[in-house]
Amino acid sequence: MLRKIWEHRADYAYVLPAIAVMLIVIAYPIYYTVELSFFNTPPGLQLRDKNFIGIDNYTAILTSEVFWKVTWNTLIWTLGSTFISFVLGFATALALHRDFIGRGVLRAILIIPWVISAVAASYIWKWIYHSDFGIIGAVLVQLGLADRPPNFIDSVSTVLPSLIVVNIWREFPFAMIMMMAGLQTVPDQLLRAAKVDGANAWQRFWHVTFPHLRNVSTVTILLLAVANFNSFIIPWIMTGGGPSNASHIWITHIYELAFGRQRWGVASAYSVLLFLILMSLGYFYVRALSGNERKDGSA
Amino acid sequence: MSTIAEPAPRSQARRRMRVDGWRWGGRIFLVFMLLYTALPMIWMLLTSIKSGFAAMQFPPQWWPDEPTLASYQKLLDPQNSVGQDFLRFFWNSLFVSTATTILSVIVAVPAAYAFSRFTFPGRNFLFFAVLLRNMFPAVIFLVPLFILMRAIGLVNTHGSLVLTYLTFGLPLAIWLLKGFYDNIPIQLEQAARIDGATRFQAFILIVMPLSAPGIIATAIYSFIGAWNEYIYAYTFLSKNDQLTLPVGIQRFFSENTTDFPGLMAASFMMSVPVVVLFLVLQRYFVRALTEGAVKH
Repeated sequence: MLRKIWEHRADYAYVLPAIAVMLIVIAYPIYYTVELSFFNTPPGLQLRDKNFIGIDNYTAILTSEVFWKVTWNTLIWTLGSTFISFVLGFATALALHRDFIGRGVLRAILIIPWVISAVAASYIWKWIYHSDFGIIGAVLVQLGLADRPPNFIDSVSTVLPSLIVVNIWREFPFAMIMMMAGLQTVPDQLLRAAKVDGANAWQRFWHVTFPHLRNVSTVTILLLAVANFNSFIIPWIMTGGGPSNASHIWITHIYELAFGRQRWGVASAYSVLLFLILMSLGYFYVRALSGNERKDGSA
Repeated sequence: MSTIAEPAPRSQARRRMRVDGWRWGGRIFLVFMLLYTALPMIWMLLTSIKSGFAAMQFPPQWWPDEPTLASYQKLLDPQNSVGQDFLRFFWNSLFVSTATTILSVIVAVPAAYAFSRFTFPGRNFLFFAVLLRNMFPAVIFLVPLFILMRAIGLVNTHGSLVLTYLTFGLPLAIWLLKGFYDNIPIQLEQAARIDGATRFQAFILIVMPLSAPGIIATAIYSFIGAWNEYIYAYTFLSKNDQLTLPVGIQRFFSENTTDFPGLMAASFMMSVPVVVLFLVLQRYFVRALTEGAVKH
């Protein structure tokens, strides 16, 4: 083993800069977070004054009501955004697969929301949802569907779905790009053969196209799920987690605990829990990716 | 002969009807998606050319009665204090994003090449470690990084952002580039080696030029990622003259939240560089993203 490492010593030179940067900025913070999660940190940035309290931070989290509320929000947010973004993106990719005039332009327009900053997107939608002058509310009133403009993001019951709509707006283009590329790998001969054999459009999709896209779909869904689980900007800027925690998800909650209330220890314990969840998601991610590679035989 | 030919017309007609049904469904769906995508952006533009008073009306002016570029003029006027701030934020964003992009390419190119070509012990482990990093949210790293940056004296400097963006952009950059290197035939390098080139020469002279589209794509990704980043900039920078656009816009519009035309104009101008970059280079951009996940 050591001899093998020595033989390949020149190879490491290529990856060394990347690894070095990541060790400093990634490995150390992970270690530090785990350590801090076992300490009580009095408010203020004087972290030297922390005192060891074992697993108290963890028990405090798991027994708090807010934790379950936020976890439930995170679940709805992640699953809802991921599922709908994927379905819309996939359907758009299918509809765009056939060539027609203006296809390139349409595709470019559809991708723009994904390129612009989430901060800009949050402000645009905040204005659209505005409870007095928002355009959606105005349209609803004009059409006689509502007496007065509804409070989309100031009401506990509608805030999370409203934010999910914004998130999907920004995210479905990603699924669309991935699935468009996937569709190009479906062999035409197979589709034509299926057509000759009398398969209708749905049967061709379900029995030929879809099985071919299983790997791409898995990777896309996992990437979306991870991105959604980790999202911060949209809820933070649009609502800051409110009203009454109705739109707090894990990340915004951790941020508020750490930088808002300076409860670093508790926030670190939250981060460690998050870590464990993501690790298990990561296991599937790696499996899906290495499944890709094995099939391909290239790596 | 006749027994085979006879049912054909009917089934063909039925098939055409069905295909048409799918096609029409697809078109209607595309129109719906186009509206969903474009209407918010159109409303942003329409609001940005209204006066503050015109924007705050109910029912709204669907089309501005008196279109005005006042908001844009205010933001771009170096004499005005708002304009000064905005232009400074813009410049800061440009500087941080460009520096991040250049460094990312320099570090990611050799790493991606190594992951694609060499089989050194620990290669797979390292590669997946790189990918796994991609899964963890910024928040986990914020506290320790903040302390680390303070220890090395980088808080409130653009250096802290460049270093952070570099690290967090690297996994994706390496992944994207590896996809490109995987598709460059190794025989090309072997031929160069036989002609007497060293491995490094083969890499610089043969592989680098061929992977130019991948490098361009990676650069666009780094740039857009850095340009749009919010959470680190929000945490690491507190001095007003250091802020990047996403944070800067938030700071000065949270002071007077009623200036929606100004906010929309700022959002629009913040989006222009990345959208233009994307539209000009979208071929590379889309290809790179899918190269890693979908192998040809």
